[in-house]
Amino acid sequence: MPRKKEPTLRNCIRDLRSANSGMTQQELADRVGVTRQTIVALEGQAYTPSLTLALRIARTFKKSAEQVFQLDE
Amino acid sequence: MNAMEKAAWTELSVSVVAVALATALTPWLGSRATSAFALMALVMLGYFFIRPRGNRVVIDERDREIAARATSIGVGTAWMMVFVVLALATTWASYSGAHAVSTGFLNWLIWMQFAVCFGVRGLATVVMYRRQQHAA
Repeated sequence: MPRKKEPTLRNCIRDLRSANSGMTQQELADRVGVTRQTIVALEGQAYTPSLTLALRIARTFKKSAEQVFQLDE
Repeated sequence: MNAMEKAAWTELSVSVVAVALATALTPWLGSRATSAFALMALVMLGYFFIRPRGNRVVIDERDREIAARATSIGVGTAWMMVFVVLALATTWASYSGAHAVSTGFLNWLIWMQFAVCFGVRGLATVVMYRRQQHAA
C-alpha cells in the first residue's frame, strides 16, 4: 500500500526579512532566540520549526502564523 | 559551521583515532592495547565549542532535536553491536568446547562499544547537519 507523502511546511521568511528593511539572518535569530544556522535551514525549507518558534517568528514580522507558514500538501 | 557540528566532528575524529590506534596496537600489546581508548577523554574537548558566549544563542531547538536523534542512533548502534558480538562469542564458546569467553575480549568489547557509541553519534550529527545545509 503506497504511503501518503509527508506534507512540507513552506515559509516566506526570506521575503519578509527583505521587506523588513533588510533585516539580517543574525538579527532575526537574535530576536527569536535561535542560531543563525537555524534561520538558514528554515529559509531553505529544510527544517520544520516548533510551534513556539513559528509563533515567535510570525510575531516578529507582525503577521499571523499562517501568513508566514503554509502547509504544502 | 555550527557549534554542535564542531563538537560532533570532535567526537567522530577522536573515536575513529582511538579505535584505529587500539586495533593497530593489538598485535603488539595484546589486551593492553585497550589503553589507547584513554584517548576517548579528548571527546570532552567538544564542550569547548558549546560553552556559553555572552547573550548569543549557542544551542537552540534544532540542535537539541538533532542531538537527541543522534544520541538515540549512537546508543542503539552500540547496544546492537554488544548484543550481536556477545551472542556470537558465547555461541562460539559453547560449541567450540572452550566454555568461556576471555575477560580480555570482554574488556575490548566494552571499550569498543563506548567508542562506537560516540563515533556513530558524531557521524549521525554531522550527516543530519549536512543534509539540512544541502537542502538549503
